[in-house]
Amino acid sequence: MNHSLAALILVFLAGVLFMLPMLPAVVELCLKRDAQPLDVVQQYGGDIRHFAHGFRNYVAELQLPLQQCVASGTTARGILPKGDEYVLLGGPNMASCLPVGKQDQTCSLVVAAGSDILLPDSLTFTKEVFAAGEFVGGKSSTYRAVLGEKGIHLQQASKVIRWAHSAGEFRAEHDCDLYGRISSDQEIQLQSGCVFQRLNAPRIAFGSASVADKGSSCIVSETLRDTASLPGADARTLVDGDMEIRSGEVIAGSVVVRGRLHIHAGARVLGSVKSNKETIVETGVCVQGSLISAATMHIGQGCRIGGPVVAEHGMVIESGTECGTVGTPTTVSAPTVEVEEGVLVYGTLWARKEGRVVTIR
Amino acid sequence: MIYLLFSIVIIISIYTARHYWFTLNRLFGFQRHPYIDIDTANWPRVTVLVAAHNEEKVITNILTALMEVNYPAGQMLVVPVNDRSTDRTREIIDRFVQDHPGRIRPFHRESGKGGKAAALKDAMEMVETEVILIFDADYIPGRGLVRQLVAPFFDPEVGGVMGRVVPLNVGTNLLTRLLDLERSGGYQVDQQARMNLRLVPQHGGTVAGVRLSALREIGGWNDNSLTEDTDLTFRLLLAGWQTVYQNRSECYEEVPETWPVRIRQIMRWAKGHNQALAAYGLRLLFGKHHATFRERTDGFLLLGVYAMAPLTVIGWLLALFLFYQGAVPLHGVIALLAFTAYATTGNFAAFFEIAAAVRLDYSRQRICLLPFLTLGFAVSIFSVSRAFVSQLMAPLTGTQFHWDKTERFRTTP
Repeated sequence: MNHSLAALILVFLAGVLFMLPMLPAVVELCLKRDAQPLDVVQQYGGDIRHFAHGFRNYVAELQLPLQQCVASGTTARGILPKGDEYVLLGGPNMASCLPVGKQDQTCSLVVAAGSDILLPDSLTFTKEVFAAGEFVGGKSSTYRAVLGEKGIHLQQASKVIRWAHSAGEFRAEHDCDLYGRISSDQEIQLQSGCVFQRLNAPRIAFGSASVADKGSSCIVSETLRDTASLPGADARTLVDGDMEIRSGEVIAGSVVVRGRLHIHAGARVLGSVKSNKETIVETGVCVQGSLISAATMHIGQGCRIGGPVVAEHGMVIESGTECGTVGTPTTVSAPTVEVEEGVLVYGTLWARKEGRVVTIR
Repeated sequence: MIYLLFSIVIIISIYTARHYWFTLNRLFGFQRHPYIDIDTANWPRVTVLVAAHNEEKVITNILTALMEVNYPAGQMLVVPVNDRSTDRTREIIDRFVQDHPGRIRPFHRESGKGGKAAALKDAMEMVETEVILIFDADYIPGRGLVRQLVAPFFDPEVGGVMGRVVPLNVGTNLLTRLLDLERSGGYQVDQQARMNLRLVPQHGGTVAGVRLSALREIGGWNDNSLTEDTDLTFRLLLAGWQTVYQNRSECYEEVPETWPVRIRQIMRWAKGHNQALAAYGLRLLFGKHHATFRERTDGFLLLGVYAMAPLTVIGWLLALFLFYQGAVPLHGVIALLAFTAYATTGNFAAFFEIAAAVRLDYSRQRICLLPFLTLGFAVSIFSVSRAFVSQLMAPLTGTQFHWDKTERFRTTP
């Protein structure tokens, strides 16, 4: 073979091999199959009631037929515009009219109740449930989602798979599994054994009311709380190692600890607290601002925390502790949260992996 | 010469390993988003500074978006920092002030030193709140973004917050598509990995926040810096304040659409970064302050990022020189081989980072563009090296550094 031709072929082949990876690149550049900006959510503000509001709008058109059912004390069935089949219950004792499979005890229709409703035990609802009146579920029942315009009361060992929102009180008896979002415009009450992820209400109580109201002797003045809730408004103490705050000690300003932090009983911090390792808070401690741990956190009995409470790895809160106040709700957040009966949270409690209510040790 | 080449190979290897470490952490490690769940709180008052210099094409979009965020209206004041604009920026801002009484208080700057840092420094007279957020005028914040950027300030260790920048004008041309990939790699992997590993996430100066008391403690904005954000990151770190990154606090931006604009932008970044390296590098490594060993090491490597381009060019020249010089001892051959290996495959670390970012963003086809990054890499390496040389020559030539404003391409709304 001619030397020049061989060289030419070699250069051509090398060129082809070099250009080969460019081929899909050129195709994508020309066809622009994936040239849209990444989907940044512009309008969603993270509202826990997002799905509840969406469902309320979705079933808005059922209001008129539902009122007619209530007036006539009858039931009705139909299909919503998106293809979901629904059943309307016009009276309080119409649970027996639910189209439930006899074998699996499952209702696969959207259910809308025009008045108070009391459901039998061991039912499974694969679609959303709407209740214009008080909603009382049966034991060991499973719901995809529930919207209650008055109160929602789940009996023992019930499950919510996606969300539940109550315009009134939301109560869950022992051993309920509450996955996804649970919200109330008034109050959430969970009994021991309940598992949860994201809760939001003006007041969230764990255990019976009598336990929850015990409280502690630590009272935070409104004046102090209002001034200290502004982050960083106070002088900051930065400690490179571990730190212990002595029993009864009062610290004016915020504290940042690079190591472990142990706050002994009855101490007060008139600012915010951050620890980069394990954080132990003993009985009756007051923190005016936020309490943040980059590791685990254990909050003892009867503590008062004014601002957000965050632990990056896990959190235990003992009975009698209160986070936030009625006037200044806050967020408690950790991947796993163990809450004893008798704890009160005003605002949001968010356990990304799992939250659990336990009895007092 | 061989030993110099060896040193360059070692430094390059450290950066390569760092890229791999970040990417693997992002793919398989524990992901830190500690403040993203704070959705209920006693939200503090916040001032939102919008840096604007001749921004008539974009200022309407950001002011409209800021008026629609879900932050309590009474707790948020928007301050457009109109820095000596000669277009309709002032007129547009004043119209917004009229339409939204009490929610926007403009700062019209007629004269003074050029540059964003100088404008922000002057605008501080309008700031009375502990939390300050900063946006460039071409950004479009979503409804929940202000809350997300304020939430980390409940942590008393946090002095600065940085959100994620997402290009809006992706599909315009090859450059915007390459910048989209680079931004993905830089934020989705690089910044988040540094957050995960408790290293030094960088303050970007936009989609960002700073705590007033921390800013005052470190002496305010440095208007001599070409990259006030890098400067801020390291001064905060040296003073014991953390900068945190919020990957889920995303905000649209407009990226440069022409190569000359991109080259000017990256040259300014390089000069500013190198300024910070000279000012804080040794103090960060060896000084007495609160930074951990990890933060010192990663911070120094971060400062040295733009010094790597001229170092690589020197490495190439050295390798060529040594090769043509003739016989070299065995370790010289190893150095040459190592450097050649880097030149052919070393960038895979950065490309791997970008590929992982694209996967994490659930986008698929754009990964095909990866080979074109070689072009972006080539432009960057020579632009950054040019910036480095001009910076070295500046004391001899008497050149004054000046702020180059990034041109906008959005059509007037």
